[in-house]
Amino acid sequence: MALNPQYEDIGKGFVQQYYATFDDPNLRANVANFYSATESFMSFEGVQLQGAPKIMEKLSSLSFQKISRVITAVDSQPMFDGGVLINVLGRLKCDEDPPHAFSQVFVLRPLGGTFFCAHDIFRLNIHDTA
Amino acid sequence: MAMANIDYDFLMKFLALGDSGVGKTSFLYQYTDGQFHSQFISTVGIDFREKRLIYTYRGRNHRIHLQLWDTAGQERFRSLTTAFYRDAMGFLLIFDLTNEKSFLEISNWLEQLRMHAYSEDPDVVLCGNKCDLEAVRAVSHEQVRALSDRYSLPYIETSACTGFNIRQAVEMLVERVMLRMENVATNSELSRLMTQTRCMPNINLPSSGGNTVRLGYRDMELTEEQQRSRNCKC
Repeated sequence: MALNPQYEDIGKGFVQQYYATFDDPNLRANVANFYSATESFMSFEGVQLQGAPKIMEKLSSLSFQKISRVITAVDSQPMFDGGVLINVLGRLKCDEDPPHAFSQVFVLRPLGGTFFCAHDIFRLNIHDTA
Repeated sequence: MAMANIDYDFLMKFLALGDSGVGKTSFLYQYTDGQFHSQFISTVGIDFREKRLIYTYRGRNHRIHLQLWDTAGQERFRSLTTAFYRDAMGFLLIFDLTNEKSFLEISNWLEQLRMHAYSEDPDVVLCGNKCDLEAVRAVSHEQVRALSDRYSLPYIETSACTGFNIRQAVEMLVERVMLRMENVATNSELSRLMTQTRCMPNINLPSSGGNTVRLGYRDMELTEEQQRSRNCKC
């Protein structure tokens, strides 16, 4: 498969849509539609998960009600299988907590004219020294 | 060096730990009378507030600068930086009396503490918070007693909402750390921590103003007025 020349738009469009879904408590369950039931991997703060059901179990265990984000940068690259590699740098704020920086990496894999999220790595950007 | 800035005898760093939603932030807010200067250090994701105390022991006053560290919500993501545990001298381990899961997680928090704290046996005070909500209490006295006995933890029930026992819980921990420091010769790790922190006011301390609180542990039954006159050197 060839490189997808639209990688930049695909990356930005996905990120916008993903967080709009995730950050709305009424829509959060629909995040499952971005993942494959068996062929999606997630690393959430070092916890490794496979498949939409496990991923959703993890995401729905998070204890905040409200979450809002400010996205600083979305960097995308085309992949040789037609997929798109995306890195997000941003800050998030849960309920009344102070804001935390985070980074998240996605790999979108093409699937019959559309994409699914095959890889997802999430970390808060906090360190062990000040 | 900035040594001249240090106008206290001990800098104590306490960490509030426990599941999200148990009331850690409210607890610390209540303790500092809502007048804290909260300072958020974004690199480590730690929020802290400060308070001055006078600890009276054997007729001597010790000026304590207390730093209370808050997890600032990072525990929601199950991602606590180890910076958190490493420099703390005492731990307020808080659960929600109306939420059994937060109580069951206490063993896991203790496990984390043992792994990352300066000692395998650090000073911990177990706090059952939200004790004002007796009608929806989900953790029995027997359950708590079994756990606190198993781990030899001092236990106190608190309400960050009404302020009940909040100050007492913090003072219990101050006292335990002070007692440990008396045996500091046999406790080289704590000694290292205390020496290190006393020489390293690495964070700008706000001017303390007039919010110093007097404590006298051996004088608990006295009123504040009586304590003041007893502590007076004249």
